[in-house]
Amino acid sequence: MQQRWMSRTLHCFRHGRLVQLNRYNTSNFSSPRRLLNVHLRSFHCSEPRWQDDSAPLRKELKDAAKAARKAAAAVPPESPDILPDWELTVGIEIHAQLNAARKLFSTADTYPASEPNSHISAFDIALPGSLPVFQPAVVLPALRAAIALQCTILTKSTFDRKHYFYHDQPAGYQITQYYTPFAVQGHVVLTSEDGLEDGREVVVNIKQVQLEQDTARSQEEDSSTTLIDFNRCGQALIEIISLPELHSPREAAAYVRKVQSMLYAVDAVTTGMEQGGLRADVNVSVRRRDVLDGGFSYAGISGLGQRTEIKNLSTFKGIEDAIKAERDRQISLIESGGVVEGETRGWSITKPHETRRLRGKEGEIDYRYMPDADIPPLYIGTDLIGYVRRTLPPLPTDLTKMLVDDYGLSPTDARTLVLLDDGERLIYFQRVVAELASLAAHSVPQAELGKTAANWVLHELGSLFSSDERPWSSKVVPFDAMAEIVHRLREKQITGASAKLILKLVFNGDRRPVSQIVRQEELAFSEMSADEYDTIAREIVEKFPQHVKDIVEKGKTGKLQFLMGQMMRHPRRGDMRAPDVEKALRQVIFQGKP
Amino acid sequence: MRLDRGHRDWRDIYLKKSAKAILRRSQFSPHYGNPYISVNNSLLRPEYLLGRLKHAERLHRSTANWNNYNALKSANDGYTAAIKDNILTKQLPTTCASRVLKGFCPPQNATVTKLLEKAGMIVLGKTNMDEFGMGSHSINSAYGAVTNGDPRRASALSVGGSSGGSALAVAQDLAHIAIGTDTGGSIRLPAAYMSLVGFKPSYGMISRYGVVPYANSLDTVGIIAKSAADIRLTFDILRRPDASDPTCLTAQSRKRIQTAKNRRRVSVLESNILFTPAFTPREIAPPAQRARARNMFLFQRSFARRIGVPLEYNIAEMHPLVRWAWTATLSHLQMYGFEIVPISLPSTKHALSSYYVLAPAEASSNLAKYDGVRYGTPRTRPSDDDAGRLFSGYRHDNLGPEVQRRILLGTYSLSAGAMDNYFIQAQKVRRMVQKDFDAVFRMPHPFHEEAPVNKDGVDVIIVPTAPTPPPHVRFLKDAGPVESYMNDVFTVPASLAGLPAISVPGPRHPDFPWKAERAVGIQVIGQYGDDFSVIYFAQNFLTNFHNMKTLDRLQHDKMFQESAY
Repeated sequence: MQQRWMSRTLHCFRHGRLVQLNRYNTSNFSSPRRLLNVHLRSFHCSEPRWQDDSAPLRKELKDAAKAARKAAAAVPPESPDILPDWELTVGIEIHAQLNAARKLFSTADTYPASEPNSHISAFDIALPGSLPVFQPAVVLPALRAAIALQCTILTKSTFDRKHYFYHDQPAGYQITQYYTPFAVQGHVVLTSEDGLEDGREVVVNIKQVQLEQDTARSQEEDSSTTLIDFNRCGQALIEIISLPELHSPREAAAYVRKVQSMLYAVDAVTTGMEQGGLRADVNVSVRRRDVLDGGFSYAGISGLGQRTEIKNLSTFKGIEDAIKAERDRQISLIESGGVVEGETRGWSITKPHETRRLRGKEGEIDYRYMPDADIPPLYIGTDLIGYVRRTLPPLPTDLTKMLVDDYGLSPTDARTLVLLDDGERLIYFQRVVAELASLAAHSVPQAELGKTAANWVLHELGSLFSSDERPWSSKVVPFDAMAEIVHRLREKQITGASAKLILKLVFNGDRRPVSQIVRQEELAFSEMSADEYDTIAREIVEKFPQHVKDIVEKGKTGKLQFLMGQMMRHPRRGDMRAPDVEKALRQVIFQGKP
Repeated sequence: MRLDRGHRDWRDIYLKKSAKAILRRSQFSPHYGNPYISVNNSLLRPEYLLGRLKHAERLHRSTANWNNYNALKSANDGYTAAIKDNILTKQLPTTCASRVLKGFCPPQNATVTKLLEKAGMIVLGKTNMDEFGMGSHSINSAYGAVTNGDPRRASALSVGGSSGGSALAVAQDLAHIAIGTDTGGSIRLPAAYMSLVGFKPSYGMISRYGVVPYANSLDTVGIIAKSAADIRLTFDILRRPDASDPTCLTAQSRKRIQTAKNRRRVSVLESNILFTPAFTPREIAPPAQRARARNMFLFQRSFARRIGVPLEYNIAEMHPLVRWAWTATLSHLQMYGFEIVPISLPSTKHALSSYYVLAPAEASSNLAKYDGVRYGTPRTRPSDDDAGRLFSGYRHDNLGPEVQRRILLGTYSLSAGAMDNYFIQAQKVRRMVQKDFDAVFRMPHPFHEEAPVNKDGVDVIIVPTAPTPPPHVRFLKDAGPVESYMNDVFTVPASLAGLPAISVPGPRHPDFPWKAERAVGIQVIGQYGDDFSVIYFAQNFLTNFHNMKTLDRLQHDKMFQESAY
């Protein structure tokens, strides 16, 4: 039934009846049943949301690849990030879907559903007589986001209606916070960590953060049919409006990336840009550097050029490309004697070097903002703000700093560790280090343990996962096993080669404890004498006379590696050290000669 | 389990008799002026309704001597109700008298419907109205105009609006009680035109969940009945907090109202103790003590209530008969010992213009959802023109002219260029109207922290409901929209301030024999939250002009009614 309803959308009425709601499956409206199968969304679900819904994006990407192949012959020259004569000014509005189990004004849940139009309540499709009931569930993620962005939280904020007709907006208006948003005056600092040049620091001021409703998803089936899925309709968004203080496309993209990572770190959003949880609108204007007054102003910043708005950008690269394209368009327009018009433009991934006009000033909508009389003001207590501030998860910047300072990691390794696998890798790393510290007989500085552990967690274990093409899981190699391997290595109970071997065994599902593996595989390391090395080396040399001949007569020293490998397969491999093996082999082959 | 406090004397129950009359008269309800848009199946299956009402009557009668009291679901168990067509009912379509929603069956009941059914009332039908509540005479309906009298005759009268169908159903004995909505007088005006009692509660007292909004900051659900007692008993069933309506008063807010009432009582009686009949010691106490308690009770009851008469309401356009009824009511009350106080509400003359800016503005927003995409009348064409405008043609075809006029008005007053001059100004006027009322009432506004008790204030305000008796329908066709907006001039201020107001039939002029054309309504307005005082005042002191046939024992027996304080 719901499928059928969905297929009867905007343009398909010419054949007659619309599916009416009395025929629509009403199980969603009857609360008792709904309460039983509520899926409270876990924080940070590891599966990407909208996995099954990302078809348009995938298609778009495919098209982009096709277009890139076609255009490969004549690639337009890459335009520089900063132009000498022109100053670019960019302001960005970011829409981020909040990590809340309920929609903003209805109790319908927000769990990602494969079936369209299955998570809706009467208010989401604007049934007559339905009323918005504010869901307190959205307050916490919104507060976390605003506090992470260093905003001032207003204790009283109100909701307003923004009117426009569009088929993804069932009520004919969107509920947003136009007159008094819940958070104002924040800022984000971009540093070299975010891809800026060393020593450069950019402060982006945030004008306000407001709560609003998301719209329905629409999917163009063909030129005359659009399918609408109201599952997303009414979900809580925050809109983060920055002041026009960015002057380079790269920094603009860095700003959005930074905001996304911050929101993600404090658990305010569930998904990033790639899965559609974050969208950005950018305002672009240019002015000549010598004439620093364009005659326009926005939010107290004056002297700007006429701005245009590019709507709905959903990739970081897209933001950068779209800004560049729009800047170049405006500059060439002004240079050829034209005037930039205030208009709304679109950008698509298939044509990354141009923007297209969506509607001009005459088509600009008067949104007719009006306070919503149904919704009482939102009061946020200072105690709640204090609590959220105290319990805010650390931001990526703080985590990196902690790893560098306390665990002795290099900044690169630290950043990688923070970004990988939603921080699961970081937690795993910390547990390994803690276990290592408890295994150590005498106290060892944490920085020393951290460095070794990071190497093993990031590189050795990481390469096993990546060569196996498996997603990260902290259960494959338990942290205590990992710690024991590293510990034995550090105590010289096993060699590096054995440690890698044990790790691989455990990774491939060996359930034996590490100590047992060491014993049964005879990997325990006991110092061999030079004579013993010598004996084994001789055995090997006798086995492969041809290789020895190659080395001695033709000077193919590379074959030495082969012999070393053979020697390391000897039953006493657990006791051998590679440098000693090489020394012994050379001794035997060259008889002391170089 | 009975939760409400009202009850009916078993000797007043004549449900069996009225069931027969309702069934007979409902067989072809259009003969009675087209009050219904859709009717319940039970009217077509008489044996069900008869049996249900017979059973209810037996139950009511079995409560003699307080036996079996809890077997009744409520005082209104077995009573029939007609519901205005903009309130959702699962069983009957809800159309708002508009073509846009023709045949729309909502998946859920409105809270009001749910409460009525829980109280054992039987919903007989959905009553006709002005489309989306926009109008004052119930003639802007897509399902035919409502008239008082045969519409083909010249004598057909306006029923008032927009809850005209609800009022007509009660007046023609098609239902015991009717539920309507009041945005700017939509209940009080029909009640005045049809000599009924119509009550608009304080904004937020009755849940609006499931009421299709016209102007959501003004909309209230109200009750139309033949007696104030019916109103009180029904209001007692409906005034419940509701979590699904954010504007419905919560239990805490209702407590604050009680606190404000207590503050007024303490300041007026100059005593923290309230003497009630139940409080009076009877057999055990010595006679002297009993006499003292009774004296205190009588003294507390008999202090003079102050009645406000706003001078601004005495407009030149007022019909002489209405002015006579007003003065006659006041002198009648003065005779009872009430103090008549002239008061001034200076912003009254701007209230009507403010209302006709605010209500269309909200309507233009609330009615934006009727695009024919998800529900309602099917669309006939995919889009209007090549430019891809999708909804305007559909809305043009299916919304009535008055609705379109108000949507355009509201869209204009909200547009960027006009907002400051219209919408903002109107909101300011609305705030002034509220302040005017707060300044004259004795009871402080319950939600204004630390508002002082105005000892010299008035308890209720008495004004006419409409400036004229009901007009003839034949004159309305030529009247411009502004003229018909004039009818709301006395009802709009209470709506803007969200105050409770009840309209009761006014006194009949002795020199002119009473006719339907000479019906006059008198309105009692109280402070916000003071709903029961308003109802009790109407019930205890303004029923003398009612049609005596419709008065029951409760109204005659005023001695033991709970007093307003």
